[in-house]
Amino acid sequence: MNIPKNLAKSCLLATVVFWIVLLSDYSFLIDALFSMIVSIIPIGITSSFVILVTVCPIFWFLKKKGESLKNACQKYFPFYVSVSFPICVYGIYSWGFETFSIAFFISAFITTSQSWVWFANEFGL
Amino acid sequence: MNKIVTIIAAVLFSILFYEQAIGLNFGLFALVTLLVLALHQPIQFKKTTVILQAGLYLSTAVLVFFQSSTLAITTNCICFFTLVGAVSERRSSIYVKWFNGLYSSIAGYFHRSFEAPKKGNPDVPKKEIDYWHLSKMVGIPMLFIILFVLLYKNGNALFGSLVSNISFAFIDFQWLLFTVLGYYLMSNISKPVRIDPGTTMDLETGNELLKKDLISSETQVEKDNSLVKENQLGTTLILLLNLLLLFYCVTDIISIFKISAENASEMSNRVHSGIYALIVSIVVAIGIILYFFRSDLNFYKRNTQLKYLTYLWILLNSVLVVLIFIKNQDYISSFGLTYKRIGVHVYILLTLVGLMTTFIKVLQIKNVAFLFRRNVQAAFVLLLMCSVVNWDKFITEYNLNQAESFDTNYLITLSDRNATTLYNNSLDSRISSSDKNRIEKKYHDYTIEMEQRQWQELNYESITLKTER
Repeated sequence: MNIPKNLAKSCLLATVVFWIVLLSDYSFLIDALFSMIVSIIPIGITSSFVILVTVCPIFWFLKKKGESLKNACQKYFPFYVSVSFPICVYGIYSWGFETFSIAFFISAFITTSQSWVWFANEFGL
Repeated sequence: MNKIVTIIAAVLFSILFYEQAIGLNFGLFALVTLLVLALHQPIQFKKTTVILQAGLYLSTAVLVFFQSSTLAITTNCICFFTLVGAVSERRSSIYVKWFNGLYSSIAGYFHRSFEAPKKGNPDVPKKEIDYWHLSKMVGIPMLFIILFVLLYKNGNALFGSLVSNISFAFIDFQWLLFTVLGYYLMSNISKPVRIDPGTTMDLETGNELLKKDLISSETQVEKDNSLVKENQLGTTLILLLNLLLLFYCVTDIISIFKISAENASEMSNRVHSGIYALIVSIVVAIGIILYFFRSDLNFYKRNTQLKYLTYLWILLNSVLVVLIFIKNQDYISSFGLTYKRIGVHVYILLTLVGLMTTFIKVLQIKNVAFLFRRNVQAAFVLLLMCSVVNWDKFITEYNLNQAESFDTNYLITLSDRNATTLYNNSLDSRISSSDKNRIEKKYHDYTIEMEQRQWQELNYESITLKTER
């Protein structure tokens, strides 16, 4: 498992999604670019932490179990989504549908789901 | 071709729903969805189950046009997931269809990535697109251009002011993002996925309870002994519970006839305590029945007594349900209809269905899956039936014309769907002048809101109001 590569791609994806959603509510200012670049650090830390805690252990477990990864992903990913999606929806709801919360949770959902795909692809699916 | 259809559907999704209220858009979206599904899944769309689900989905979308209630919208959404789930696996149980439909809608794209790529023609080399290189080709120059623009901005005042004037305000990014969301949804439902092994397990599980295979004679004797004991225990327990429930029902009937004039709080307490008793007794009753008829006792030759006692218990529980119905109806005719009181009636109806399916389960030796499937189906049918009614209007009309007394404030706080009915009945002498003013304001606001609706938001009521004026 090439974790650093996956984390780097996830960080980039999360930053892009987060800012695209966030900027949809505000007019685009060229001065905001600096904030965007700097935001890679907190977004990277957050996305890496979430992936390391929630996605990686599943793949380590699957590797240890020796189960066919294709079947395992099809079997366990729905469980992951059925937990992560309600959390994201609840998060957006409890923060009163603020643009920041929408951007944060949408990027979290897309990034974690996509990191599953990247990890799975590493194993030649 | 299919991709173009998906893109068009995504744009239509945005046109129909972006910053719009509920109305005609649900019906039009249903047509778009059916078109997308039929084009992507032509084989599935020839199957009767899928056609029926599509018809049901379309009908609920029409209901949204007529009712525009939360219930109608909820039903329409559930029918949407049922349809997508039916396209994914039409033979599965209704609740598995819901899971498959919901899962396909939110994560279909990611799930499809795990599926093995389709084998193409091996003679023709597959043209691979290097997305990583493509993103570098776009991203790196863009990053450096932005960096240099920022640097040059401070070097030249004219250049700086020109850069500062760059504005993308003419583009509605939220609309674009909404369209992307529509594309994601349409792309997900165009190729619905199924959750496995859940779906396979559901398909393999029938409704019949099967007798376990024969075992060695010694174990068989042991098993027979335990069956005799279990049968004795079940018979004694259910007999005693029958006696208790019979006694309770008799006392309850007497109490209904004895107590006549009560105030609202006394009556409310009586109905609610009855409901709690009903909830606990029905759940425990079904649990006990399921426990005793979980396996081999169904096939035991001397279980006739236990079966008859169980039927009697189900009957007595049904009597209990009817008693609660009478109490609730009494409460409604005295103090008017409310959503909670309608909810009690719905609960009573569902409980009766639950008892009936439990009866069938014991009579025809069915398994728990049968019970679950039939009860969920019954709840779904009830939801469909309930969404046909404009409850706010129904409650208002009933309370104003039938009930002995009613709460005007409650009627005013209901949704705007009763505004016309309230306004037409505002001359009722039981309504105070301040409440009359509130009703008039509610009706006035409602008519203005209806008149200002755009074509996507039109519903039956807004069209009627416009034609009346």
